[in-house]
Amino acid sequence: MEKRNIKIKENIRKLLLRLELWFAPLLIIVPLAISLFFVQDWYIRGFSTSSSEFNGELLIGLLILFGNVLVDIPFLRSIRLLRKKE
Amino acid sequence: MFFPEMTTKTALKITKQKMTEYHLEFLERMNAIEVDAHWFRRAFHTFAASFLFYYLLPDETWVTNVKIILPILIVAGMFVIEYHRLRGDVEHKRFFGLRSYEKKRPASYLYFGVAVMLLFLFFPQQIAIPCILCASFTDPIIGETRYFFGKKYAYPLGFVISYLFFLVTWYRADGWVLIIVTTLGASGAVIGEARKCTYVDDDFMIQILPAVLLLILCQGLLLMQIDILPPPLIHPLSQ
Repeated sequence: MEKRNIKIKENIRKLLLRLELWFAPLLIIVPLAISLFFVQDWYIRGFSTSSSEFNGELLIGLLILFGNVLVDIPFLRSIRLLRKKE
Repeated sequence: MFFPEMTTKTALKITKQKMTEYHLEFLERMNAIEVDAHWFRRAFHTFAASFLFYYLLPDETWVTNVKIILPILIVAGMFVIEYHRLRGDVEHKRFFGLRSYEKKRPASYLYFGVAVMLLFLFFPQQIAIPCILCASFTDPIIGETRYFFGKKYAYPLGFVISYLFFLVTWYRADGWVLIIVTTLGASGAVIGEARKCTYVDDDFMIQILPAVLLLILCQGLLLMQIDILPPPLIHPLSQ
């Protein structure tokens, strides 16, 4: 039992040291926030003023949103699998 | 009497050697954790699409200066890190997600950063945006398709995806311009990705090759008094 606890503690220590896992929230949240900002910008400056000038913001926002969500799902799954293994 | 005689210099040398051994062993153990580097790299690629926020920044004087200085500083920082890694000052194993062939040459994130910086500073956004999108999305799509279905399907699909990115960015251009630009841009992106070069990474080529081709086209036509650039896709916030 104690041996197992020591192993778990050691793994947690190693995980905390792995900088890339600290990057994970950043890699997921930043693109989502920026894509929503693009969509909001389109809504405020384009949609609410009935201007098609800002449709580019919508297109870029949606591209960033869907492109990132598609990759974030397997990325999060890989991190979850790691946690289970540990 | 019981201990062999040891000079301070020898003791220091042995301690240093022991510490290096421990350090290396520790790094080996850290790397034994099976984090999926594959999806980490993919997520980094798609994350790069967020850099397009750059074009939303206002056109005020001080912001314009920041828009020039900040990318240069970031890339300079990357150069310093890579210089130390290649010299061996920083352990290669500390860099998660690096490929084995990047051990003796600059890592792909540096090439990616340099390409994005060049696009921001020297190319109009109508050219830079689809090129950044290609590096962010076409590259991982080609990689995944190549892995599951082979090269036969990967590059045609990459061409279609790149074509769509150029189409989206140039949708307000004239019809004939749209056909030339999308074909040229998508071909450049796929060739940049497909042609593997030892010293220049595909993350650089996939962005710079289509950008250079389109810039030459635009400048050439401009000499003939034909301006093919459509209105900007992203408008700075102050407007």
